[in-house]
Amino acid sequence: MNIHERKNWVRLLMAVAVDDVCQLAEQLTQDWQLRYKSLPQSGLGMMKLRDGAMNEPFYLGEIPVSSAWVELTLPDGVVAEGAAQVMTDNQDLAEAIAVCDAILANDLPGHEQLTALLEQGAGHITKETQNRKQMLARTKVNFSLLDAAGDDDEKN
Amino acid sequence: MGYVAIKGGGVAIKGAQDTLEYMRCAQGDTGSPLDMKTIEHQLRFLHGRVLSEGGLYHPELASLAVKQSLGDSLEAAFALRAYRSTKPRLLETPTLDTSNMRIVRRISAAFKDIIGGQTLGATTDYALRLMRTELLDESPEAFRQVAQQWFKDQGDNAIPDTFPKVVDSLRADGLLAEVDTAAQQQPFDITREPMIFPVPRSAALATMARGETGSLLAIAYSNMRGYGDVHPTVAELRVGYVPVMLPHPISGELIEAGEVLMTECEVVAMYESDDEDDKPTFSLGYGACFGHNEVKAIAMSILDRSLQKGMKDGPTNPSEDPEFVLLHVDGIDSMGFCTHYKMPHYVTFQSDMDRLRTTQEKAQQAEEQA
Repeated sequence: MNIHERKNWVRLLMAVAVDDVCQLAEQLTQDWQLRYKSLPQSGLGMMKLRDGAMNEPFYLGEIPVSSAWVELTLPDGVVAEGAAQVMTDNQDLAEAIAVCDAILANDLPGHEQLTALLEQGAGHITKETQNRKQMLARTKVNFSLLDAAGDDDEKN
Repeated sequence: MGYVAIKGGGVAIKGAQDTLEYMRCAQGDTGSPLDMKTIEHQLRFLHGRVLSEGGLYHPELASLAVKQSLGDSLEAAFALRAYRSTKPRLLETPTLDTSNMRIVRRISAAFKDIIGGQTLGATTDYALRLMRTELLDESPEAFRQVAQQWFKDQGDNAIPDTFPKVVDSLRADGLLAEVDTAAQQQPFDITREPMIFPVPRSAALATMARGETGSLLAIAYSNMRGYGDVHPTVAELRVGYVPVMLPHPISGELIEAGEVLMTECEVVAMYESDDEDDKPTFSLGYGACFGHNEVKAIAMSILDRSLQKGMKDGPTNPSEDPEFVLLHVDGIDSMGFCTHYKMPHYVTFQSDMDRLRTTQEKAQQAEEQA
């Protein structure tokens, strides 16, 4: 996963501890002005799915959603925007990720520290992905004919 | 007889709440409270039921609901459903495609060789149903060793992230009817609109997706046993994580906002042809739900197929009747109706007794006059 692509930042940041993201976002912006382009909010989103039989859309159920859109003004007058929509009901986390989005998208001071956090998230995702693949690898069925010499179980 | 307003019971109700709380904590010094992750992992299938029947994919709150309801799945789903009713609706996702599912289990009863292969994943299918008495007194060390060993044995697995669907192969072979891959009609939202029959198929799918597992199973079982003719073959049953894509507020680009564990099933049923010019093709049924719940997904797919027949030709048995199925599978509705009978019916029952006594008196008078 490319940690430099904006489309991956939410997933990567959601993979690290919530407190780490919120604390770093707060620390990096403590001397900056933060203005809400739209008020952070949390609520629900309806998950729309395409069914596998007729390809018709239907609603599977709801998911928690929080969103934030911020504008940061640095002491030197630089202005940058960032935003996030994340699957959580933690509004503070959505705001922190929006701040990270602004810093990363505009190469603002602190983006190196955030990149380290993204790498940490990538590590967690890789580990989880390997874990899931392990489940598949260990349980893959090797069919053989009854009269074939040896079978799946004997080979293992 | 007039209505008599009564009051009282407040102290007893508070006492009942305290008693329930005591029952939860009755182990005292020898016990320890359940944490949310313990419930999510060690009560995985109960947790999955609550997620889907509550209609809200919120793993932490589903655990909390299980904890506060002492494991009553209906009460837990009710708590989750009540929670969702207090939250504003902010958005709906774009139409998500489960072909992007990050699979952890995938089987087919139709073909042994499916593209990507069959992987059993975590399943109770092959359990011997013998009591694992070694778990009666499981030590924390033994418990932790299982995970440690699992991670120690991990190797490089050249397994793809996603797998093609079995039904797509069948469709490519001309065994299934063509579908409109760009179909974009707005689905029926059962959380916002009352179901007035007839309802579209999207209403049926949404209702069954948050339906109660046992209810869906019971009605689907009636079809399997003979009150219907679906005769399903599981083309594919898959469990995995579907990425939830939402547009970035600034760029508009779809980004992954999270992922949802879900179970999905497609069953192939009897073939049919609308008219003589059409090539006969297999019909399909579809089931899906939050969490890992295979019985629910399979039962739903059978009912989807039977309801399709009922919607088209008119129902010939209960499982083909949309009104019968969809109005009786919701666990919150049915549990609420059932448990309301515990509430005071003093006036109505008094009336019943009065009528019975009057009828008895009239019967006795008639007997005496005879």
